Amino acid sequence: MLRYIVKRLLIAIPLIFGVLTLTFFIIRLAPGDPAAFFIQPGISPNVAEQIREQYGLNDSLPVQYFKWLGNVLQGDFGRSFSRAQQPVFEVIASALPITMTIAFLTLIANFTFGILIGIISAVRQNTFLDRFLTITALFFYSMPEFWFALMMIILFALKLPLFPTSGLNEIGAEGFGMAGFVLDRLWHLVLPVTVLSINGAAGIARYVRGSMLEVIRQDYIRTARAKGLSENVVIFRHALRNALLPVITIMGSSLPFIFSGALFIEVIFAFPGMGRVTVEAIFSRDYPLIIANTFISGSLIVLGNLFADVLYAVADPRIKL
Amino acid sequence: MMDSLSKCISASSRFFGSIFLVLMLLFLSSCGQRSGGNGKSSAAMDSTLVIAMLGDADYLNPVLGSTVTSGNIIGLIYPSLLQSEFDTSTGLLNYLALEKKLRETAQGQAKKAPQGAIAKTWTMSADHKTLTYILRNDAFWHDGKPVVSGDFKFTYKLYGDPVIASARQQYLAELVGADKGQVDFDKAIETPNDTTLIFHFFKPVPEHLALFHTSLTPLPAHQWKNVKPEEVRHSELNQQPLGAGPYHLKTWQQQQQIELASSPKSTLPKPGTIPLITFKVVPDYTVRLTQLQTGAVDVVENIKPEDFKGLQQANPQIEVKTVGLRAYDYVGWSNIDQREYHKSGRVTPHPLFGSARVRLALTHAIDRESIIDGYLKQYGVLCNTDISPSLKWAYHNRLAPHAFDQAQAKALLAAEGWLPGADGILQKQGKKFSFTLYTNAGNERRTDASVVIQQYLRAIGIDCKLDVQESNVFFENLRERKLDAWMAGWAIGLEIDPLDVWGSDLKKSRFNFTGYQNPRIDQLCELAKQKMEVTGAKPYWLEYQEILHRDQPVTFLYWMQETQGFSKRIEGEELNISGTFYNIDDWRLRPSAHIAP
Repeated sequence: MLRYIVKRLLIAIPLIFGVLTLTFFIIRLAPGDPAAFFIQPGISPNVAEQIREQYGLNDSLPVQYFKWLGNVLQGDFGRSFSRAQQPVFEVIASALPITMTIAFLTLIANFTFGILIGIISAVRQNTFLDRFLTITALFFYSMPEFWFALMMIILFALKLPLFPTSGLNEIGAEGFGMAGFVLDRLWHLVLPVTVLSINGAAGIARYVRGSMLEVIRQDYIRTARAKGLSENVVIFRHALRNALLPVITIMGSSLPFIFSGALFIEVIFAFPGMGRVTVEAIFSRDYPLIIANTFISGSLIVLGNLFADVLYAVADPRIKL
Repeated sequence: MMDSLSKCISASSRFFGSIFLVLMLLFLSSCGQRSGGNGKSSAAMDSTLVIAMLGDADYLNPVLGSTVTSGNIIGLIYPSLLQSEFDTSTGLLNYLALEKKLRETAQGQAKKAPQGAIAKTWTMSADHKTLTYILRNDAFWHDGKPVVSGDFKFTYKLYGDPVIASARQQYLAELVGADKGQVDFDKAIETPNDTTLIFHFFKPVPEHLALFHTSLTPLPAHQWKNVKPEEVRHSELNQQPLGAGPYHLKTWQQQQQIELASSPKSTLPKPGTIPLITFKVVPDYTVRLTQLQTGAVDVVENIKPEDFKGLQQANPQIEVKTVGLRAYDYVGWSNIDQREYHKSGRVTPHPLFGSARVRLALTHAIDRESIIDGYLKQYGVLCNTDISPSLKWAYHNRLAPHAFDQAQAKALLAAEGWLPGADGILQKQGKKFSFTLYTNAGNERRTDASVVIQQYLRAIGIDCKLDVQESNVFFENLRERKLDAWMAGWAIGLEIDPLDVWGSDLKKSRFNFTGYQNPRIDQLCELAKQKMEVTGAKPYWLEYQEILHRDQPVTFLYWMQETQGFSKRIEGEELNISGTFYNIDDWRLRPSAHIAP
């Protein structure tokens, strides 16, 4: 298996490099100009020119590319154009922990609730409970997240003022002490994580129900029951393990989400996470930041897929890597 | 089987139950800390003013800061040479030093106290080429060092350095040497002692303009003197601004909030009345509104007119204040055939919009009042030209707006040879009157208005398609003069200087997207600039407005008031066209006990 992992990682290098090169050229071909903000009445026309000079945008495209390549090979992805020339990895490093906190909480909630609901509705197929859960899950699954988020804010922050509307902490939360600060932070995360996980759990529940239904009709499940095993052991030890295979794929492909952020949630709840960093970078044509983001999300997609493949082998001994 | 199923379900309900318990615990623990759902603990609430902002500040450095948020915060932290104030009775900007003002204001108009100014007084030489400031000697940076004339000279060098690329280098355009391409700072700015600051211009400059251009915000030279120009943009000092104004930076959590605290020792003009001001980033409009309703923030700018009613019904402690008029929307028509212009550089009339009569017909065809009634209501004013009704001294108030009159529009078009074809669309020599009207994505007001405009044009037989472009793409297309027709807007400066937008030299006038050319407009703008007293240019501006009104290079739609939501617990705020926060150091917060629940 180790050999397999190393092989996959080695293939990933030219792949990611190709993605970065493509991104480099595509964003420069897109209309728009990183210095466009400085083209306004009342601002000297020289300013945009000086800014372009600073960013090295006056060189020809091949020259820009080789300069960039040289820097990237030394691990230097440059400084952000739009965020006060901070080094791009500093920008990402400040956004990443926030995004990861939300994403981990969301993923845990997603899979716990999703798998549980999926099992319940599969085991109790065609009962009222199953239909109720299925319809509710579909209802939430088809709901646009941004709308759901706004409704939650209106309901739980405006009509019933239980939760804060946005932000990561209260004004003046530094004075609450360490425990108070963490609780305050968690308190601010309840609404966004609920929105994200209800939506995601609903989807996962559908997968789990489907594959669970398939699995519990298999012969070996009947055999297990015939052996006199308790229903709990049959469902959780024998059926679930096989039923989870498709879920593992989803888990692997959710990995990039942990780092890429959920844009709607970040905008609506005013979290300075990766989703906003990425989108704002694109709108302001912040080339170095776009490339650094692509690098991170590209690497994570590759790693996520690898992770999923490895998990397959762990979950199902028949699969050999 | 049922038995184990119920076990399985009871296991899961135990699980749900424990999660619920955790949530309840979280809820209870936080309840102990706050006064309720209003978002601030009450002690913090009485001492902190919270202002919602769309995006973070870019730099808290006056040389580099270029967003509105940066400008607002820099104004509170840094000292300024003069105080300025917009006189609403005349529409003129006034400049104040401690012991001198540019012009006397009508009684009851002057609201700004001059104590924030570093200049005691100034004198303009008779030839209008030398401006001498005398500075006060009791102004201090927050670290206790005095603010001296050398700070200004030092900072002007930064403003003018091409490596730093300050967006304000245009302010240095009249200084000695600027006519030769590079300001000669040793000759242009003299500092014979710590309290004398002399600016030399290469040409006579009107006094008001000289004051405007020489009052750029200074940096403390002693803090910045060892920073190389190429380091200025990413220097760590940008994170720790050292100012002298009523507030200083307490914390800056990027993309989240900026917290300012009152500076107890400030004499420029005095320590801020409210102890803490927090600027909080809330990118989503609906959430900003909700936060204003719940009291989590106290000020939200640019509230849409359709939301006023709901806002005030939901929370009577909110008031909406308006200020304006500085921004207008228009429909742009390319006056020149851009394809020909890009190909050969020749200027020829646009096949559809090349004639002033056609453009006038288009203006007549659109019921601009109905757009105002539908969206802006009483917060919109019909727009004739780009000189705002707020600039009373220059505004032409006898210019009758072009009325909504589709019969007149049809007649004008018929006279130009545009007659209805078999399909009802106007035609001229086999060419249909058909075009695409572009606008930028993300502006609901403009997208709505463009749909209304499409219908009005359709009614007189004009085929207008609509297209929305991503903002970057849209503005690039505009700048490169690629669009036939578009809907956009301008925010005007308080000094009238429209040559960039209407100048006939299409290479120099970068914002003349329409390609409009009229030598008389160029002349009038030049003549107005040469007047040493701003009001002396009034006759030129009146003629300028008559010409634009007649030529209709674009269809001017409406002026918009800025509408800001305020919590009523703020007292003493004065809104001024020069900025929502222009007297924020005088604002007070009513203690929460006095607010009705």
